[in-house]
Amino acid sequence: MTTIRHHPDDELLLGLAAGRLPTGTALVVAAHVEQCAHCRSQMRDLEAVGGVLLEDVEGAELRPDALVRTMAMIDAPSKPTSTRVVAGPPPLPVGAQWPKALAGCVATRWRWIGPGMRWSRITVPWDPSANMFLLRIAPGKYLPQHTHSELELTQVLYGNFHDGRAPFGAGDFDAADPTVHHQPVVQDGCECICLASVQGRVLFDGFIARQLGALVGM
Amino acid sequence: MAPNAEAMNADPAPLRARPVLSVVSDGPQASALPCADDLAALVSAVATASDRQAFALLFKHFAPRVKSYLMRGGTPDQQAEDLTQEAMVTLWRKAAQFDARHASVSTWVFAIARNLRIDAFRRAGGGQQAAFDDGFDLDSLPHETLSPDEALSSARATTEVRVAMRALSADQVQVLRLSFYEDQPHAQIARELGIPLGTVKSRIRGAVSQLRRLLNVTP
Repeated sequence: MTTIRHHPDDELLLGLAAGRLPTGTALVVAAHVEQCAHCRSQMRDLEAVGGVLLEDVEGAELRPDALVRTMAMIDAPSKPTSTRVVAGPPPLPVGAQWPKALAGCVATRWRWIGPGMRWSRITVPWDPSANMFLLRIAPGKYLPQHTHSELELTQVLYGNFHDGRAPFGAGDFDAADPTVHHQPVVQDGCECICLASVQGRVLFDGFIARQLGALVGM
Repeated sequence: MAPNAEAMNADPAPLRARPVLSVVSDGPQASALPCADDLAALVSAVATASDRQAFALLFKHFAPRVKSYLMRGGTPDQQAEDLTQEAMVTLWRKAAQFDARHASVSTWVFAIARNLRIDAFRRAGGGQQAAFDDGFDLDSLPHETLSPDEALSSARATTEVRVAMRALSADQVQVLRLSFYEDQPHAQIARELGIPLGTVKSRIRGAVSQLRRLLNVTP
């Protein structure tokens, strides 16, 4: 496994541990944590902060019959879980994995957006405001130069790219805000698959690129 | 408590909207708490013997705290009550999965309550049908499991974290508490610390990195 060089910052990890991140942000950060042992260990420390705070909070009053009702739920026969037949997610190249964080989401098939560029829209059924997608870019191809009106989070699931600032490989995480103006270029030899969440809009330079952005709803 | 660089660099203490709650108490309340090992033994009794008495003790200890956690985050009373009971049912059903080497019982219960709160949010969001006819359902993805050696290396005692938190400045503890307990943590941190919204992120990062420094020097 390659070394992961780019991690979410402490503010994002704390937000994930606390369960207070917006949906799209939470899913991309969770996808990173799945791939990154270092961040998993950080997360456990931050969750332990949650444990300490829970110990120290002054308890709220429960209904007098709360324990009785809870025991009744425990004794009730568990409902059979519906065994829905679901189609598996679209296949990925060997070595790439769908983030488990996306369980319950819906992904479209790979759609063409340009030569060597495909994307899959991720829908989060419980939060339509989450703007998420996968990008699958062929070796040597690049995204148009762009910046972001708010925040674009990216988790590299497979392959690698260089965006002029730094190289990014499988497992790496990136947060790009309006100060970042970049053009990710996929390295030769291997296609690249990224999970992205965008708050606000991606602002492409140039007329053609803007049309492309409008097409995919970025 | 030794002053630390973060505290000395901090802005002069602003007027606070409400007093800082004692969140890392070591006072009388602490001595009344069952210790971490006792709680772990109770969970183990639930797991191995379906021990109802042990469960009742865990319920007495955790249920009011879980409800309080949920209500402070903005969950209405009735829903907080329901989710608390659901959390305790989860504790019963998943007791066998609890691994004291991985986390303390409090951390585990916190994670259960946090996940149920998020699940409730998901249920409330409803299952809007995706607007695509070529969608793949990602429901079949497996749930996260921890590899055994990771579980072994991950034991961080709650007491260790508690000790580290006592060495943080009052503002840093407040930042952590609000991050966990407020529905809009950034706005609330700005209000209570009297700082601009734009500096909240750096305050959070400062609090976490100081906590990490303290944890890493703890033997």
